Amino acid sequence: MLISYNWLRELTGTKLTPLELRERLTMVGLAIDSVDEKDGDSLLDVEVPSNRPDCLSHVGIAREVAVIEKSKVQSPNSKVAKTEGKASDFAAVEIEDTELCPRYAARVVRGVKLGPSPDWLEKRLDEIGQRPINNVADITNYVLHELGQPLHAFDLKKLAEQRIIVRRAKTGEKLTTLDGVERKLDPEMLVIADAARPVALAGIMGGLDSEISLSTVDVLIESAYFDPDSIRRTARKLGMDTEASKRFERGADCENVVNAQTRCVDLIGEIAGGLATEDAIDVYPRPQPVRSVTFRPERVESLTSLRVDAAEMDRILSALGFVSAAAAKDKAKTFVVPSWRVDVGLEEDLVEEIARHVGYERIGSELPPAAMAGEYQPAEIKRRSLRRALTALGFDEAINVSFIDAAHDEVFALAAVPQLSKHSSLVSLNNPIIEDATRMRPSLLPGLLQSLRHNFNQGTKDVRLFEMGRVFVGSEGNELPHESESLGLIASGGASEQDRAQATRELDFYDLKGALEAAIAAVNLPALVFTGAEVKHLRAGQAANISLADGTVIGSVGALSETISAGYKFRQRVYVAELNLTPLFEIAEHEIKYEPLPRYPSVVRDVTLLVGRNVGFTELVAGIESEEIDDYRGVKLVGTYEGQNIPGDKRSVTLRVEYRSDQRTLRDEEVEGRHRRLLDSLLKKFNAELH
Amino acid sequence: MTENTSQQDPKTQVETARKAFEEEFEDFVRLGDYAEVLKLPLVEALLKRKEFEEFCRRYTGKKGTIASLKKLIGQSGPDKRAILGSQVQQLEKWISDRTNQVHYSLSAYIQQSQLERDRIDVTLPGRRPRRGHIHPITRLRERVEDIFVSLGYAIEDDREIETDFYNFDALNIPANHPARASQDTFYTTEGFALRSQTSTVQIHAMQRRGAPLRMIAPGRVFRRDTPDPTHNPMFFQVEGLCVDRGITMAHLKGTVAEFLRRMFGAQTVTRFRPSYFPFTEPSAEFDFSCFKCGGRGCRICKQSGWIELGGSGMVHPNVLRIAGVDPEIYSGFAFGLGIDRMCALMYGLDDIRLLFENDVRFLEQFD
Repeated sequence: MLISYNWLRELTGTKLTPLELRERLTMVGLAIDSVDEKDGDSLLDVEVPSNRPDCLSHVGIAREVAVIEKSKVQSPNSKVAKTEGKASDFAAVEIEDTELCPRYAARVVRGVKLGPSPDWLEKRLDEIGQRPINNVADITNYVLHELGQPLHAFDLKKLAEQRIIVRRAKTGEKLTTLDGVERKLDPEMLVIADAARPVALAGIMGGLDSEISLSTVDVLIESAYFDPDSIRRTARKLGMDTEASKRFERGADCENVVNAQTRCVDLIGEIAGGLATEDAIDVYPRPQPVRSVTFRPERVESLTSLRVDAAEMDRILSALGFVSAAAAKDKAKTFVVPSWRVDVGLEEDLVEEIARHVGYERIGSELPPAAMAGEYQPAEIKRRSLRRALTALGFDEAINVSFIDAAHDEVFALAAVPQLSKHSSLVSLNNPIIEDATRMRPSLLPGLLQSLRHNFNQGTKDVRLFEMGRVFVGSEGNELPHESESLGLIASGGASEQDRAQATRELDFYDLKGALEAAIAAVNLPALVFTGAEVKHLRAGQAANISLADGTVIGSVGALSETISAGYKFRQRVYVAELNLTPLFEIAEHEIKYEPLPRYPSVVRDVTLLVGRNVGFTELVAGIESEEIDDYRGVKLVGTYEGQNIPGDKRSVTLRVEYRSDQRTLRDEEVEGRHRRLLDSLLKKFNAELH
Repeated sequence: MTENTSQQDPKTQVETARKAFEEEFEDFVRLGDYAEVLKLPLVEALLKRKEFEEFCRRYTGKKGTIASLKKLIGQSGPDKRAILGSQVQQLEKWISDRTNQVHYSLSAYIQQSQLERDRIDVTLPGRRPRRGHIHPITRLRERVEDIFVSLGYAIEDDREIETDFYNFDALNIPANHPARASQDTFYTTEGFALRSQTSTVQIHAMQRRGAPLRMIAPGRVFRRDTPDPTHNPMFFQVEGLCVDRGITMAHLKGTVAEFLRRMFGAQTVTRFRPSYFPFTEPSAEFDFSCFKCGGRGCRICKQSGWIELGGSGMVHPNVLRIAGVDPEIYSGFAFGLGIDRMCALMYGLDDIRLLFENDVRFLEQFD
């Protein structure tokens, strides 16, 4: 809101320069965004907090300046010079809905001469960004910016039967407002009507039909107080935001209604001539309650650490308009809250009033005494280790928004969502902001795929990303949706090296699997189990379920299916994995225990087996271990081979078996015998051949 | 040759050997000159060295001329032994003096050439797999967490989809407050709110842990803002809460100032000014001295010297009460700030939508 420095000086006689005012007002809670020089004046752009509608006017700001400078606001003196007749002789006012309109005052000025405003008035309005219209309209606008009370001038002759009825709109009623827009009204909305039809949208904007014009002779000046919630609802519904609605919806000053009207009528008489009525029709069926607050002065120190003299506290509060009620027997005092301070209702509010005018800068600065030990979230160390392990493997951390396109529904297997049951549904937004992004993501993969596509489009072809975040599915009944923490990975392109133009090789399934294994090892958890599986979004034959040792499936890994890949127009292989972290983080870390180093050397034997392509490595290992060969210590993969010289349904697998005794060095022939036995049984068990 | 000369008298034999050496050495003598050696290609130098070593061995080797002459010393009579001994010794020294130079220059040249051949470009990039990068928001979040853990705070998080009670009521946000409108807050079709601030976590934590309490809640929050260079409908926030007996605004100021100094540097000055939030009373916004211009005024701080960073205040008594804490016994401060905003300031981002695009070229910069 723009405040004119010259205007403010007329009201306060301030000795502060505009820049000093900027600093001082900011420090009492009225932040000044900018100070601009204009035609010998300075304009202060004040950011008024939403709870301080009383500051949406020059007098409102002046009140704060007066407290700062220990001066007084010189309120404009209103005394209407020439009056004649009672207002009720010319008009009638009736409030049908007193909830929504607790007070309505109307006063009539007859015989006005409409025309342009005098220069000073036009200039003043123009400076603060208000377009001058005609003298009467400008005066209502001027008083609004002076005193904060929105006013409206009707052309009295255009009001049917010269009656004002404040009521809810009827279904189907319409009103063309001053901006020329025809508004459809409903009974939620409060209108000002005459005997026949709505003539204004109460507290928001006048109607076109009853607008004052150059031919207007008699005007009816409206000054009223409307229910803030009602004004806000109507303004929102109609998408309107006016100077009047801004003030009414935050809370106007019910006790300023007549005063502001008098000021307005006075200025009309002075500028536009005419004869005002002696009085106003002031209908005030619901007087606003007088609020008071009990205040213990010592609370100032206990909440802010400021030590303030009782006299200084009283000065600040009374300068702000708080009136000390009869002193109580004990120390607590009671203050009557001024009608314009709709924000004050508690002792703490008064503490803030005192603190901000003493100055927050005078509050000390110290750390509270140490009292407790810091602690991370239980899984935080694991999360950090996961991230470090994955970045070490070349994965960049991604963060995607939590809402995704509903088009992804049913596309992804939601193995990472443990609470998934037949009854669970996806969680949807009622009011999305990004078009089509209506689902709370049940999987991290759609987001990662979108990120991948973005990178491809930017020309980055070697991409490895991971994301850790929440995924959501609905609950049964009226419960809050399930949230669980998921880890998503995506990889495509080559295994690139730092500062080298060419990737050393193409990434494949085992890169992603390895990344998962490394990540799990980094958080010191037992190894995951990978089992070949059919997974909806993964390519058949290159897909695995991931489970815990107890068999619980917690995710999947594999090559992205051709269909999905084609949908994204990907032209290179994409590998994806998703894992539910919530159960993983609940597993106890495996204990580290020392084992004595071997005292005797081990002997290794390599063996190459030709087995069916359907025989898995884990099966082979399990087969070897089940033989329980003496001094067997373990087996590792050397390599696999398929292709030339190998039948199409076979695979050659080279394994390295280790033998070692804790008692002595094994002799060659001993190892030979054991190894022979192992081979014989393997050949039989897997229908294999030596290769 | 030794066989042939064995019949001669030892002195003559020494002389013959000397002459023979001199004659043969003719072939190598020029190699004692390093400049001459330099003219040879490496292969030839290696060949020459082999030849030369063979030649030397014939004179000074175990079965060489000198060795057999030395045997004669023992066989000769005592009167001639000393003379002969010194003659052989002289010959040996004379030979080694002459060959050393050739040895030296050949070897030096060969060694030098081999080093030259094996010379590598040490400025080629080292062999290392490309490393991934932690997202800048995570980096900052971890830093914030570390600072507050060291100050004795617990890190907390809770649901992202919340009831109106935790998102609004418990935070003293009145029923008609604009923030509650579906214009500003996301709602699910079941009517739950996506949390619009992590203050929700404070309520859960107070209910669970009671007072006294020190905690921060970093996390994702959602507000219905259309994405533009300075807005995202989802962002990250951190909120802090300290509830104990005797907590005042001085503690709030001290804590936030300490945090910002650790975050932005020891020279950082923090300013508090009155503001309004429904969940605190008194309320304060905090600014910190512009890290770019040091407070003189620049583009980043809009010439004011200050950068707005967050909101704070003394926890509203209604909020304490709702969370089961008696405001007559305990008081507390709370503060909140945007991690995304801090990120934008710290790294000079001109468009915060970049944060959620996951462009590798962007992520790589946070190394």
